[in-house]
Amino acid sequence: MSTADLFATLRREGRTLLTEVEAKTFLSPSGIPIVPTHLARSAPEAVRIARTLGWPVVLKIVSPDIVHKSDIGGVKVNLTSGAAVARAYRDVMESARTRAPQARLHGVSVQRMAPPGVEVILGAGKDPQFGHYLMFGLGGVFVEVLKDVSFRLVPLTPRDARQMVREIRGFPLLAGYRGQPPVDLEGLEKALLALSAFLEQHPEVREIDLNPVFAYPQGCLAVDARVVLEESAILTPTGG
Amino acid sequence: MGWTFEEMDRMFHPRVVAVVGDKRDRDYMWLRSVSTIRGRVYSVQVDPQEIEGIRALGFPNYPSLRDIPEAVDYVIVAVPRHVAPRVLQDAIHKGVHAVMFFTAGFAETGEEEGIRLQQVLTEMARAARMKVVGPNCMGLFNPRWGLRHHVDQYYGEGGPVGFISQSGTHANAFSLVGYQHGITISKSVSMGNGIILHADDYLDYLGQDPQTQVIAMYLEGVPHARRLFHLMQAISPRKPIVVWKGGQTSEGARAAQSHTASLAASTALWQGAVRQANALWADSFEETLDLVKALCYLKEPVGPRLGLVAMTGGQSVVITDAFAKAGLQVPLLSSASYQELATFYSTVGGSYRNPMDMTPTIRNLDLVQRVLDILARDAHIDAICYEVNLAFVPRGERGLDRLVDLLGAFRERYERPFLCVLTPMHREGEEREVRLALARRGVPAFPSFLRAATAYRKVWDYYRERRERLVTPQAPALAQPVPPGS
Repeated sequence: MSTADLFATLRREGRTLLTEVEAKTFLSPSGIPIVPTHLARSAPEAVRIARTLGWPVVLKIVSPDIVHKSDIGGVKVNLTSGAAVARAYRDVMESARTRAPQARLHGVSVQRMAPPGVEVILGAGKDPQFGHYLMFGLGGVFVEVLKDVSFRLVPLTPRDARQMVREIRGFPLLAGYRGQPPVDLEGLEKALLALSAFLEQHPEVREIDLNPVFAYPQGCLAVDARVVLEESAILTPTGG
Repeated sequence: MGWTFEEMDRMFHPRVVAVVGDKRDRDYMWLRSVSTIRGRVYSVQVDPQEIEGIRALGFPNYPSLRDIPEAVDYVIVAVPRHVAPRVLQDAIHKGVHAVMFFTAGFAETGEEEGIRLQQVLTEMARAARMKVVGPNCMGLFNPRWGLRHHVDQYYGEGGPVGFISQSGTHANAFSLVGYQHGITISKSVSMGNGIILHADDYLDYLGQDPQTQVIAMYLEGVPHARRLFHLMQAISPRKPIVVWKGGQTSEGARAAQSHTASLAASTALWQGAVRQANALWADSFEETLDLVKALCYLKEPVGPRLGLVAMTGGQSVVITDAFAKAGLQVPLLSSASYQELATFYSTVGGSYRNPMDMTPTIRNLDLVQRVLDILARDAHIDAICYEVNLAFVPRGERGLDRLVDLLGAFRERYERPFLCVLTPMHREGEEREVRLALARRGVPAFPSFLRAATAYRKVWDYYRERRERLVTPQAPALAQPVPPGS
């Protein structure tokens, strides 16, 4: 789906929140490493996609109306066979129909399950006065409870990206602790710079959350993505 | 709307000032504050009882701005809020250069009437392209010119520090308390609600003002945050900027809202932007004072390694903790230094590893001098911090004078940054005098080890970052002029 098609769909459906598959498609030209994710509209299609991606896979409900997917049983992880994928497809759809009866269901997203890494968050937002900014932090409790995050305004210089990654209190967890190898800091900096460049090209973006991003000794990979656009972006036919 | 340097500069150097609505129950504070300008002061007042008092003070009074028999540069308005639009209209009609509204009761009240009146003033001023300082503020302070907003402020002399404040109290306090710390103002402004001239306009001006070398700002929220950020980026390679942000907590943000009707971006975002612009972040009035003092008096720091001199063993431990906690180093000295120290330093009751515990040699200024000289020449040391503990300074002027002389001369002789911690102990009454005597010799004195350490750390970070950025230019905004409203 092209960006123009995506915006046409959003306009038609009157929404600014992209689904996970849409968000990942939208972000794919940015150069940020994102796990390939495909939309399956039926169980056989989900199985077919899973076979091309390789095992294990993750299935998630795709709906513009469901924000917290796991809360309604909309996520199945570590699926290792076609039979498991087919069953998971039906379970996830059934669960969504029962527990979120009003939600529009596009189907299910299929992605290869990424190997675990150190969880970090890359985020972006738009402040009414400062405009676009980026956020970086460690995932999970670090961001939710400790608010251990750093901010910079877009556009970022390489020096800004470097300082952003290093100034969080949890930085020692990225730099390697108790014999763990350090994560690829340069890879994270590059992802931040890519996100900054993407925002410069997309003034219509109101929020982006790449959460979690797995940071590895070599490279990093965003496994989930959330994008919200400005209302005005979907109102004007030229948007995008 | 953009303002030229000349437009802003003329506002800070008014030849003719008019004060509208000053009153006896304020003790005619406005007329008395500006009576020191290099120019003429008129009063505008219609109340016969007030006019009597104003004439008694020697100011000519007129019933309206329009009646003043010459052109007016700066008008100070202290009338009730509902009269403010009429005064602005008179000012516009007369073609005055700038208007300041001490008058409060506008958007900061959150009341419909206050918001409406502020809107009226804003639209009138915009249409006439009138420079308005405030409302709800104390206005401009240019001590060299004698333009003041408080009768206790100094005049006839000025310093290198520009201060921009959304609060009148902090503007007053920074000039008055700062003076007690050896900090003198080039130009400062209490800008209040800032309906026409905003923090970015004043920053733009101070960035170009040749008398201003260091800039500090107390901000709660600004309407043109992007432009302010670009200006900070553009100015910080030449002039250090200290940002003290009020309204850091959600509770504080609510207070700021009722204070200056500000928009408050999150503190974390502000901190990121301040670091990105290589400005210095301050968390309080005291820290703003400390950072400005260090920026005014410290020679440029080139490294994190401190040579520390304390008066006693207990203090030498605490001063070391303070600098280490600030992320600085207290290294061992070179062997040549130790060889020299061993020839005269008594280790009975003292110690000279670094930190130096001066207990046995404390009253012998010749030995103090030798210790400082050794530290200043030591290749392991980047900066020196000396504790002036009043409990150990001989009473009477001579003892103190000799010590201040020694420290001042030491500061002049070496390129290393030199700072003092002034520990008053039970002799608090002498603290201010000693602090000022040190400042006059160019030695910054801080009231605690921790405050000295934090100030050194932040100033070192600033200069290191500045040097690194000069080597590899990073900010694209540096090369471009910053258009208003960007």
